Amino acid sequence: MTLRPAAAGPATETAEPPVTSSRVETGDRPPGRRKKSSRARAQAWTAYLFLAPWFLGLFAITLGPMIASLYLSFTDYSLLSEAQWVGLDNYDTMFTADDRYLNSLKVTTVYVVVSVPLQLAFALGLALALDKGLRGLSFYRSMFYLPSLLGGSVAISILWRKIFGTDGIVNTFLGWFGYEGQGWVTSPDTALWTLIILHVWTFGAPMVIFLAGLRQIPQNLYEAARVDGAGRIRQFRSITLPLLTPIIFFNAVLEVIKSFQSFTQSFVVSGGTGGPVDSTLFYTLYLYLKGFKNYEMGYAAAMAWVLLLIIGALTAVNFLMSRFWVFYGDDK
Amino acid sequence: MKRILAAAAATLLAVSATACGGGDDGSGGKTKVVFSYWGNDSRQKLTEAAIAEFEKKNPEIDVEGDFSDWDSYYEKLATKTAAGEAPDVMSIEIRGLAEFANRGILADTAGKVDTAGLDQEVLKAGQVDGTQFAIPTGVNAFPMIVNEKTLEEHGQKLPDDKTWTWDDYIATAQKVTEESGGEIWGTEYNENPAFLQIFAAQRGEQFYAGGKVALTEQTIKDWWALLQKIIDSKAGPGAAEMLETGTKVDQALLATNKSAFGSWWSNQLDALTKGSGQELSLLRMPKSPGATGSGMFLQPAMYYTISAKSEEAAAAQRFVDFLVNDPAAGAILLSDRGLPTNSAVVTAIKDKLSPADQKVLAFMDSIKSDLSPIVVPPKGAMEMEDILKRATDSVLFGKAKPDEAAKTFLTEANNALSP
Repeated sequence: MTLRPAAAGPATETAEPPVTSSRVETGDRPPGRRKKSSRARAQAWTAYLFLAPWFLGLFAITLGPMIASLYLSFTDYSLLSEAQWVGLDNYDTMFTADDRYLNSLKVTTVYVVVSVPLQLAFALGLALALDKGLRGLSFYRSMFYLPSLLGGSVAISILWRKIFGTDGIVNTFLGWFGYEGQGWVTSPDTALWTLIILHVWTFGAPMVIFLAGLRQIPQNLYEAARVDGAGRIRQFRSITLPLLTPIIFFNAVLEVIKSFQSFTQSFVVSGGTGGPVDSTLFYTLYLYLKGFKNYEMGYAAAMAWVLLLIIGALTAVNFLMSRFWVFYGDDK
Repeated sequence: MKRILAAAAATLLAVSATACGGGDDGSGGKTKVVFSYWGNDSRQKLTEAAIAEFEKKNPEIDVEGDFSDWDSYYEKLATKTAAGEAPDVMSIEIRGLAEFANRGILADTAGKVDTAGLDQEVLKAGQVDGTQFAIPTGVNAFPMIVNEKTLEEHGQKLPDDKTWTWDDYIATAQKVTEESGGEIWGTEYNENPAFLQIFAAQRGEQFYAGGKVALTEQTIKDWWALLQKIIDSKAGPGAAEMLETGTKVDQALLATNKSAFGSWWSNQLDALTKGSGQELSLLRMPKSPGATGSGMFLQPAMYYTISAKSEEAAAAQRFVDFLVNDPAAGAILLSDRGLPTNSAVVTAIKDKLSPADQKVLAFMDSIKSDLSPIVVPPKGAMEMEDILKRATDSVLFGKAKPDEAAKTFLTEANNALSP
C-alpha cells in the first residue's frame, strides 16, 4: 500500500497532456471541429431519443418520488390530511425521543454485523469445495444457489416459522438428544438469531461470484507454490485469499447494503410486528409501520433518508478500509 | 420494502383500472358506487350476494365491491384517500373511526341514512364529537367461551358465570390441564385491549377518557399479574407458545380442541364452533372480588361510512340504508359483520341464524342489563393494540418489570393519542 500514492502520482500527470493537446487541437482547426460536433449532436439526439423511456422512468418513478420524499421528511404528513412543514423535527425526534427507533437501529446493526461475515465465510467455504472440479458441478451450484432465490420470499419466511416453532423440525431434532426445545421465533432472546440463520442460508449469490473469482486465479501460481513445497493451507493463505480480496470486498459491500434493507423476513416471521418485544424490529419494518400503520409518513420519509445516509456512510467506510486489505494485482 | 413496492404497484394498478373503467364502459349510464371492505373469502361471497340483491332492487346503481384482506386494508384505504380516490362507502372499525372522522374524509350521515330502527345506544358509538360519521354494522361482545364437553371430560363442572371470579376461572383451567396430563390446556388467553377494558371496567375504570388512556398503573399491573398467574399455574400455555398460536381464529386453541376456555369476539363463535366440531358456549367474563359490574360491553363489529367527497352520495346512502335496514340484506349477511341491531332485521332473520349465532343473540339479551358504556377510542388508538402487546410481552417474557412496563405503556400510549 506504500506503493499506491507513488503509483497514483504519475497517473495524474499522464492524464494532463491529452487535455492540453485537445485544447490545442480545437484552437488549430475550429471548422472541422464544428462539423464533427454537429454530427455528434445529431447522434446524441438519436441516443437521447432511445434513452427517453429510461429517462422517463428515472424522473417519473425514481427521482420525482425521491424529491417528494425528501420534502415530506421535513413535514408532518399523515396520508389522510395535508402535509405540515415541521423543519427538522422528524430527524430530531428520531435520535432524541424515539427509543424504538434506536432499538430498530440496534437490531439491524446486530443482524448485519453477525450475518454478513457468517454468510460470506459460508459462501467462500462452499465455493472452495465446489471448485475442486467436482462432477456435476453445475447441478450442485444450482442447488446451492436456490436458497438465494427463495430466501427473501414470503413462503420461506413462513416455512421458517414452522421449522423453528415449538413443534418444528429443530425441536424434534433436539428432542432426540433429550433436549427440550422452545418456540425459537417467538422468544425475544432467539427470534433474531433465526433470521440471521435464514440470511446465512441465502449464501448462493456470493458463492457464485466467489466461484467465478476462484476460476480467475492463474493455476501456474499454485503449481509454483507446490514446487516450493507449500501445503494446501499455505496455498490458500498466500495465493487464494489475497487474489480473492477484491471479490470478497465486492460481496461484502453488496451484502451490507442488501441486509441493511432486509424487510420481508422480519415482516413475515414476526407477523408484521417486529416482535416479540421488538426483538426483530428491522429498520425498514419500523419505517413501514410508522408510515402505513401509524400514518406518520413524514417521519417514515425522514427515516428512509437517514437509512440512505447510513448505508452511504457504511459503504464509504468499506471503501476506505479496502485500501488496507484489498489486493489488486497491479499493486505488485 | 417489497411490501411498500407492492402497495405502490397495487395503487398504480388501481389507478389504471379506474382509468380504463371510467366513462362509457359496461356500466351503461348507471350510477357507480365503490364499497370497500376487508375480510375472508366467505365474507366476500356474502357481500357480493348482498350487492347483487341491492342492484336487483336498484337497477340504476352499480355497486363495485373493493375487497382486501385485513392486513393491508387500512394501508390501501389511506393510500387511496391520499390520492383523492376514497371509495364512496368505506368499512371502518372502531379504532380507526376517530382517525378518519375529523379530517373531512367522512360525511355526516345524520338524516341521510335511516337509523330509527337501530339500537340507539350502539348507534352512539358511531359518533365522534357528536357527529354521526358512522353507522354500526352490528354488535359484538367479548365473552369467555367454553367447551363444556372438555370440561366434563376432565371432571370439571361448568361454573356459574354470574358469580365466578378470576381465581375460580384459573383454578378450573388449571385442573383441566392437570387432569389431561398436559395433553390440552385449561385456557388460552390473549393480549386484546378488549380483555383489559373489561378487567378495568369491573373496577370502574375506563380505558379512554378525555382523549387519554384513563387506566391506572395498578390496574394494568394487576391484569398482567392475572396473565402471569395463568402461565405460572399452567392453566394456560407460556407466552412464547401463545404467541405462536397467533390471533387467527382458525388456529385458536378452542378451534383445535386444545383448550377448554378462551375469549374471543362473539362473532367468532361460529368459526370456533366449526373448527372444533363440538358445542361451545358463551359465559360472562369472570369478575374481581368486589367488582362494580360485569365490565362487559357491546361494541360495533365495524361501521359503514360514506366518503365526504363522494360524487354519488345519494346512491351511497341508499346502499348503506339497504345494508342496515333491509331484512333481505340481513338474511344474506346474517351475523358476519356482528349481530344486526335493527330489531326488524333481527326478527326476520332469527330462524336463519346458525345455532352458534342464536346463542350469541340469547347471550347478548341476557347481559343487556349489565353493560358498560362504549367509548369511541380517540385518534391514534389504532396503535393501542400493538403498544399494549409490546408492553405485555415485555412483562410476560421477563424483559421488563411490571412497574417500568406500566409506565412505559402509559407514556407510549398517550404519546400515540396526542395529536
